Amino acid sequence: MSNATQSRSQLWLETLLQALAQRPGGNAAGQQASARDWRLPTRRSEAWRFTDLHCLTRLDPTRLHTRTASPRWPEAFRQASSGQESPARLCLQLDSSGHWLGPQGEPPPWPRGLMPLPSGNITPGQVARTLMPSGPLPLGAALNGVTPGPSLGLQVSGPDPVHLDLGIRVEQSQAWLAPHVLLVLEPGARLCLSWHVAATARAAVAPMVEARLGPGAQLEEAAMTWGCPEAAFLGGSFVHQSPRSVYRRTSVTWGWGLSRDEPFIRQRQGQAETHLHSLAVARGQSLLDTHSTVYFDGPAGQLQQRHQALADDRGHSVFNGRVVVPRAAQETDASQLSRNLLLSTKARIDTKPQLEIVADNVQCTHGATVSCLQDDELFYLQSRGIGRDQASRLLQRGFCEEILQRLPQAALSWPPLRSLLETPTPDQP
Amino acid sequence: MLLSIENLHACVEENEILRGVSLQIRAGEIHALMGRNGSGKSTLSKVIAGHPAYTVTAGGIHYRGQDLLALSPEDRARSGVFLGFQYPVEIPGVSNLEFLRVSCNARRQRRGQEELDTFAFEDHVRETMAIVQMDPAFLERSVNEGFSGGEKKRNEILQMALLEPLVAILDETDSGLDIDALRIVANGVRRLALPTTATLLITHYQRLLDAITPDFVHVMAEGRILRTGDKDLAMALEQRGYDWIDETNGSDTRQP
Repeated sequence: MSNATQSRSQLWLETLLQALAQRPGGNAAGQQASARDWRLPTRRSEAWRFTDLHCLTRLDPTRLHTRTASPRWPEAFRQASSGQESPARLCLQLDSSGHWLGPQGEPPPWPRGLMPLPSGNITPGQVARTLMPSGPLPLGAALNGVTPGPSLGLQVSGPDPVHLDLGIRVEQSQAWLAPHVLLVLEPGARLCLSWHVAATARAAVAPMVEARLGPGAQLEEAAMTWGCPEAAFLGGSFVHQSPRSVYRRTSVTWGWGLSRDEPFIRQRQGQAETHLHSLAVARGQSLLDTHSTVYFDGPAGQLQQRHQALADDRGHSVFNGRVVVPRAAQETDASQLSRNLLLSTKARIDTKPQLEIVADNVQCTHGATVSCLQDDELFYLQSRGIGRDQASRLLQRGFCEEILQRLPQAALSWPPLRSLLETPTPDQP
Repeated sequence: MLLSIENLHACVEENEILRGVSLQIRAGEIHALMGRNGSGKSTLSKVIAGHPAYTVTAGGIHYRGQDLLALSPEDRARSGVFLGFQYPVEIPGVSNLEFLRVSCNARRQRRGQEELDTFAFEDHVRETMAIVQMDPAFLERSVNEGFSGGEKKRNEILQMALLEPLVAILDETDSGLDIDALRIVANGVRRLALPTTATLLITHYQRLLDAITPDFVHVMAEGRILRTGDKDLAMALEQRGYDWIDETNGSDTRQP
């Protein structure tokens, strides 16, 4: 990056911070101070060498707003949310003031097992900072932290599963949304969190989810994020796991001009289970980047991670899977697999396992594959009368399906997601 | 004449595998093609089905009077040529039910039949599965993924039953089958062999031919059909081995 470009991006960041500081609840003095020692990452840094922030910095910081649209909740969610028979399900959507309300704009009726935390107890970054005590937070989390707005803080308790569905939809250009969600799961509590983000205009969405899982707690998270080619997504998830807790995350990302997702999970005393499954579908000129970190501080922790990416046209997928197993984390059992489909000569896949293992009595495996569609699979389908293009789309969908089938059934009914799942129609003669 | 192969030469990566195969198959006939490993049997089946790895360098194939080699693999299948694979391909993530429905509809469309929607197809496929005594639970799984060898072969015969081909080529459908599975597959093939259709069985063993009596038996070696006879030829091979063919290397090629 040239000096001129660097100073332009610094000017952009300073203008952004000033604009955010002037929002209600903003801290002008503090943010101006932080701008002086804060730089946007450049491609000189290893963690950003493949990822350009151009899509983000094309936003005009002086025109940013927080206007949202109503998510198009599929019928399955509306019925579940309004029905008395399923009190432990709650659908919330982000309004233009940063509050989370029911699909009709009503304040949420908190179901049993879900209780809002007092706002004084919620500070963005409070879990993140315990997981990453030193060094800067990931970009999305840092930008989330300097964006003023109400947080959603929830305490989850009781052995019965609670379903929480969060929807964010952006339709107006220059929207800048950085919602913050804090979840505290009491020992043995169970939460099924699904969130759906859709952006149809030049905008940025930078959500931060922080979760603290008590002993034996279970968090099942399904994240579906879709944006148009002009939209940018910067996600940060920070999950603190106590022993015997289980965290399952399935994420599906497609469409964005730029998406950078950075889940950070730390098993504080080991002895917990983490399952990460992610799918990135990069077509057009989409750049989809996942940088995950799983940190084991204690023994006998488990990780199953699978990242799948499909890159077509000029799409670009980046994956960096960091797994940290220090000496204290003996008997860790971790596996990581990155599977990639490269469908065009101009598409690109960059994938890197990053296993940092010091403990000597562990089982840690990793693998990465990049391939195109298999001729034998294509021929098999063709030999049954299925045209080559249709067969190709069927195979691509099958590749996606391996991750999509892990999403909860209701999540599959979101309309943009259905387009990934539709049966390819026969080729036109 | 359903299928007419004339002096077919084909190669893969510049290695000539087929060196002048000629074979005529009429409606109502069952042909068995035997021969050692590497004699070109599977290559012949793949060339007929249109596998892109093989290049035809001379000769031709006509199917119902039409130049088969001019058609794409999918068009060959839609017009009624079926290849049962020796090693059916596993396709993770693609549901068997959907795969069967899409392929069945592609063939129906070509025949001018109405396409079947999800519900109608499910009824149809469940009835058809009875022919191969296949558990409907396999419909919900990914194509061939995690199927045992026998289940994969039954799935092949199920596809054949759904596609109702005019020429069915079964490439070592009997290999890897236990006695029960062999009987079930053979019953399926027998039920699907009609006066209007023809079957080409590629096999190593007499045992499939005990269950399905072929009208003609051909022996391939080094990319050519060396000998043609009736079911007695298969019996003789079983008793005397392929060396006997080499020794007699006769030209007893009474083509049907």
